[in-house]
Amino acid sequence: MIVGRFFFAAVGVIGELMITVGLLLGGYVLWNVWWDSNQSAAIAEQGVADFYETVEAAPKTAAELNTDDPPPVDDAPGDGETLGVLIVPAWYDLTNNTMPIREGTSDAVLDQAAAGRYSDTAMPGEVGNFALAGHRRTHGNSFRFVDRLEPGDQIIVETATTWYVYAVTEDYVVTPDQSDVIAPVPRSPGVDPTERLLTLTTCHSPSMGEWGNSHRWITHAKFVGWMDREDGMPEQVLNDPGVM
Amino acid sequence: MYGLLWRALPGPGWAKFIQVLVLLGLLFYVLFTWVYPWISDTFVGTDPNFG
Repeated sequence: MIVGRFFFAAVGVIGELMITVGLLLGGYVLWNVWWDSNQSAAIAEQGVADFYETVEAAPKTAAELNTDDPPPVDDAPGDGETLGVLIVPAWYDLTNNTMPIREGTSDAVLDQAAAGRYSDTAMPGEVGNFALAGHRRTHGNSFRFVDRLEPGDQIIVETATTWYVYAVTEDYVVTPDQSDVIAPVPRSPGVDPTERLLTLTTCHSPSMGEWGNSHRWITHAKFVGWMDREDGMPEQVLNDPGVM
Repeated sequence: MYGLLWRALPGPGWAKFIQVLVLLGLLFYVLFTWVYPWISDTFVGTDPNFG
């Protein structure tokens, strides 16, 4: 009691206000980085589980990559619907690696820790540029470790019927107005595509790194092959108990 | 201001302390559930989109 009264009298109202502001700001950071991100990641995890309920489980054996025939291409789903699952083997043990891919890049999609497909880009396996957006930090940290990807690292897209395997080719940083990085031929809008590409886009800033939002980190990957779910799964995901 | 609150709460010191904890819990529940999401949506842009 005496200690409490002495403390409050000494600090004064201004001090108390500053403490209050500090606590509220600290609370916001805590909410943003920890609480809300965990909530988003949990929703994403549930989204993957819901998707798996709608598909046949792939046999737990390594299937052979088909690099000769063109892959099947699904029709685009409705806005916000899950079209598949994104798996980046290099992100194992780093992050919630198995995330739903949903149609569209609205806040409703991205804030729930999903990868969002830019609706005017290609579908998985299609000739052109299958482009995905995801948050870097906060809202589930979807693409947090995008900067760890090296050329050759695989990006795997799983749909109801097919596994699509892409390999990273390059990455670079642009400003948010340079949207031609998701053109069918990146940075060459209007040119007819001949390759099957995948592009990850997320936040980046030269000064604040993964916390910044002033720039966009772009990672391109090129299609290397596909496999039918009925035949098994890529060997890189065999040890992932969450994948089916 | 916190002095006034401390004096306004009934009971001995430990009871006041528990009440403060409850109030803090309520405060952060309200903040986490409504206030912070609203601030994030309204003022803080983290949209990784283009255009």
